[in-house]
Amino acid sequence: MPTVNRQTAALSDSPARLLLVDDEPQIVRALTPALTAAGYTVETAATGEAALSLMAGAPSDVMILDLGLPDIDGKEVIRRVREWSEAPIIVLSARDLESEKIAALDLGADDFVNKPVGVGELLARVRASLRGRDRRFTAQPSVKAGDLEINFLTRRILIQGHEVRLTPREYDLLRTLARHVGRVVTHKQVITAVWGPDAQVDAQFVRVLVAQLRQKLELEPSSPRIVLTEPGVGYRLKADDDA
Amino acid sequence: MGSKLKTWLPSTRTILNYLAAFVIVALATALAEYIYQLSHLLRLSSLFLAAVLVVAYWLGAGPAYFAAVIAFLGFNFYVLGGRTPFSFASWESILTLGVFFFTAMLTGNLTGRVRDEAQKAQARARATQALFDATRDFSASADESFIHERLAHHLAAAARGSALVHADGATFTAPDDAFAPSENLLRQVQALAGGAWPNGVATSFMDGWTLRPLYADGAALGVAAWRSPAGGQHAADEQTLLEILADAGAAAVARARLAAAAANAEARARTEELRNALLSSISHDLRTPLAAIMASASSLQEFGDDFDAATRRDLTATIQEESERMNAFVANLLNMTKLEAGALAVQRTRFDIHEIIDRTTRRHGVAHKRTIVAAAAGPDLEAAGDPVLFEQALGNIVENAVRYSPPGSTVSIACEREGGEAVVRVMDEGPGVPAHDLVRIFDKFYRSPAVNSTTGTGLGLSIARGFMEAMGGGVTAENRAMPARGLLVTLTLGLAQ
Repeated sequence: MPTVNRQTAALSDSPARLLLVDDEPQIVRALTPALTAAGYTVETAATGEAALSLMAGAPSDVMILDLGLPDIDGKEVIRRVREWSEAPIIVLSARDLESEKIAALDLGADDFVNKPVGVGELLARVRASLRGRDRRFTAQPSVKAGDLEINFLTRRILIQGHEVRLTPREYDLLRTLARHVGRVVTHKQVITAVWGPDAQVDAQFVRVLVAQLRQKLELEPSSPRIVLTEPGVGYRLKADDDA
Repeated sequence: MGSKLKTWLPSTRTILNYLAAFVIVALATALAEYIYQLSHLLRLSSLFLAAVLVVAYWLGAGPAYFAAVIAFLGFNFYVLGGRTPFSFASWESILTLGVFFFTAMLTGNLTGRVRDEAQKAQARARATQALFDATRDFSASADESFIHERLAHHLAAAARGSALVHADGATFTAPDDAFAPSENLLRQVQALAGGAWPNGVATSFMDGWTLRPLYADGAALGVAAWRSPAGGQHAADEQTLLEILADAGAAAVARARLAAAAANAEARARTEELRNALLSSISHDLRTPLAAIMASASSLQEFGDDFDAATRRDLTATIQEESERMNAFVANLLNMTKLEAGALAVQRTRFDIHEIIDRTTRRHGVAHKRTIVAAAAGPDLEAAGDPVLFEQALGNIVENAVRYSPPGSTVSIACEREGGEAVVRVMDEGPGVPAHDLVRIFDKFYRSPAVNSTTGTGLGLSIARGFMEAMGGGVTAENRAMPARGLLVTLTLGLAQ
């Protein structure tokens, strides 16, 4: 078990509010104490409708959502929340169908976590989501992730202080991953960001581009430490505190 | 030679027709004589004309001409003869004969045409019936060789001779192997079935046989052949019927093949469905408790010192309960596998049913925080079977009752002796099960559509049934009689001797 720096939701003054949506009571019972101890205010809902009405009443800062709900499909919940809210949504699902995760992410979910998950990893994802949310409001000119430093103003990339030269497409890819640092980015999102929304490009192009980027960033491109693969779904730029 | 002579001789039926014509004219003559005796009326030619008409209508043109002649003679020489100064050569007699002949000709031809039409209609009806019988026969079975055999039979019947169907390397002859096809014919049939069919020719002829390929969806299935008893050509109508019959046979074979392919595909889809259901059920039912255990354990590890004692107790309790739940699920999976492999070891001992009901009631009541009522213990009820399997079967059924009934509702268990059996009834207050699904709920992976829930594997009831049947008992389900609501599951097991 890797250690996790136990930082609370110190990004804003009041504790961040989490909405945990799962119809399995034992999951809710097991997760609530740790989330509370990490400094979040935790609300729970066992159905999609309950989750939607809680969000409508007092919007939570992050929603942790199980896809298999008894009343409405979790994807439908994402779609309806996204109609009016930009609050980060982390999908928590025992489903190992990649297509489900991709569909959820493409509908606007920010990240996903597979059941079973340790609270350490879940908390890391919650923090990444909150950072992503905050970044929407405070433009940051640079991102640091481990040995990697990206300066968006000068378009300079540094690895352990040494500059790396990227092609325009490699830069677009890295910038997209960096915008979502710590969170997953689907193939489709990469294609839209790099080739444009109407591009007829398949995932193979993304794989090739990622391989090129890894050649320039990674010490050992065959066992990447910075640009991580989420099998079947997409990629993730490793955050500093990732488990 | 003999058959040729026979065709020149009039048939018995023809002789009878002429005889009947004579009798009818004779009757007319007798009637005329009788009327003459009564009234001395001599203008009786219309009576003879009527006789000619009747003969022409009933018996056709030939007997009608014959009747015209004898009616003329009868009228002239019997009725008028000696009574009037009338001679054979008079204009009146010639006119009478002319009218008789004309009537005979007209009516006879008309009758003949009507009769021909009727015969044709009958032939058409026979052909339709033959086709109908054949297609009904074909549709009775999806077995290809059965269809080939019936096709040969119907072709032989329609050809009024012999027929042969060659397909898939097998040859079927009709009527019933009464003839052996010549080697020459067989060679030709096999060559044709092998694809040596002359281009653009649908039907070919050989040694008095008509050969027709059996085609369906552009693929050659085989060859049908037939011949009339004399070896001559069939009339065009008959030939058409025979060809249609052969084509109908080919279509039936094609349909049988499609049906077989569809059944195959359905079986594959069903297997696939079962496999997916098993995978998703294992994925969900193993991972959910695993997720709770992992979350609880990692929470204790990360934040153990920050939690108060109650929270720590709650988390460890979750770990324990979820481990038990997972264990039960794994046990169910194992038992399912054992049941299917026929490797279930069944003990046959004497055990107390009350004791097991009592234990089940307590365990599930605590685990699910639900009220489970067991009817007050009656007289001793000792069954013969495997107490471990029975407890698991009953547990699965109670589990199901709890899962599919609203929180706070009551699950009740009753038991009694009925005949030589111990009967245990488990009743819930849930929505029940649609009547047509009452049998299916014991199928593997069946999940009630009435309850939209992600929990439940669809294994519990199926295992319960497997266990009960392995012990020689049984389990059935029904919806509770009004005004009560919910499902009633009945377990039966033989009593200890």
